[in-house]
Amino acid sequence: MLKQAILAVALSGAMLAGPCMAHAKLQSSVPSKDAQLTEPPKTLTLTFNEAAQVAVLKLIGGGKEIPIAVDKNAKASPSFTFPLPALAPGSYTVQWTAVAADDGHVTKGSFAFSIRA
Amino acid sequence: MELSGWDAAAVCAKAITYAATLGAAGAIFFLGICGSLLQEPQRSRIRHLIGILVLASTLGTGAKILLMSATMSGDLAGMFDKAFVLMILGAGEGLASGVRLAGLALCAFALSSNQRFRALAPAGAAIASVSFAGVGHVHGLLPNVAPSLLLCLHLLCAAFWLGALAPLLITARDRNDSQIAAVAERFGKWALGLVVLLLSAGASLLWTLIGDAAQFWSSDYGRMMVIKLIFVAALLGIAGVNKLYLTPRLLQGDSKAFVRFRRSVQTEMVLGALILLITATFTTVTGPPR
Repeated sequence: MLKQAILAVALSGAMLAGPCMAHAKLQSSVPSKDAQLTEPPKTLTLTFNEAAQVAVLKLIGGGKEIPIAVDKNAKASPSFTFPLPALAPGSYTVQWTAVAADDGHVTKGSFAFSIRA
Repeated sequence: MELSGWDAAAVCAKAITYAATLGAAGAIFFLGICGSLLQEPQRSRIRHLIGILVLASTLGTGAKILLMSATMSGDLAGMFDKAFVLMILGAGEGLASGVRLAGLALCAFALSSNQRFRALAPAGAAIASVSFAGVGHVHGLLPNVAPSLLLCLHLLCAAFWLGALAPLLITARDRNDSQIAAVAERFGKWALGLVVLLLSAGASLLWTLIGDAAQFWSSDYGRMMVIKLIFVAALLGIAGVNKLYLTPRLLQGDSKAFVRFRRSVQTEMVLGALILLITATFTTVTGPPR
């Protein structure tokens, strides 16, 4: 009986191999990481490798945090677009925190972009 | 891999929840298997332990949700941010916590003086143990249910093994050599098969989540898994010594074996706690590479 159970476990393991989602990771963004823009972007788009919810989004430029409206009650999605206020030339850092919809894990990240004068 | 203070606190809450839940469930399973070999004061002490562990698991479950919420903002305010808490609950933690609390409520019937009510406790122990499969990396593989079923099996066997250690120590406290020998022998008979199932299910899940041996040293998840496996191997070694060397000597009435048995159970408890802490860490701050 035990041998049969172990065999069943081993066989099911052999049949399991398939794609497994890890934590929500930022796949791409617009503006992209280290982008050097000639015009200020009107929106910020974050695209994740799986459905997630954005919990925190900070845009920091010139040492100050620039407010961005984040709908914390928005449905989980792989992609989010946020309207940006008029940005002056300079360097900016985006800091994000997301919750993966399928496993509930919290991930954080940041990237920078700049706008030329 | 970065670990903030809030992340560390969330990992600790998760580890405490694992230990308390599996401990309560394992103590209930232990009473079911070895209870007839114990005296009423010993059973009463184990039931008292179950009560404490049920309370610890309930508090740990709540603390874990609040601390995960705090990790989002990185400050105390995040802990009480309704939107953050709802995000955590909505992403699977709510279902897993609800199932766990329902299971723990049934576990609490182990404290009842009514035997009919006590009969509900093993079902609660099973429900509370498998609740951890309701959220996390393996849950993310749904609609493929096989990994979740394997994780449920892994959790039930882990509860049986790790959760029996404290009751074994409680039993050994009375220094009744023939009784502890009989308990160790009966527990060992069950443990052999269930530990093999635990390891088989764990190995199958590991293959599903990692899938490439190179990931054991090239990813944070793999490296932490290697540390866990080293501790599991040490735990297995001690359990093997208990079954093959100490239990036969306990049955022969060797008094030195009794002292060694107590020490080895204490060592197993420390190793079990470390395994749960490592598991809580890599399931919180890292993800499988595939």
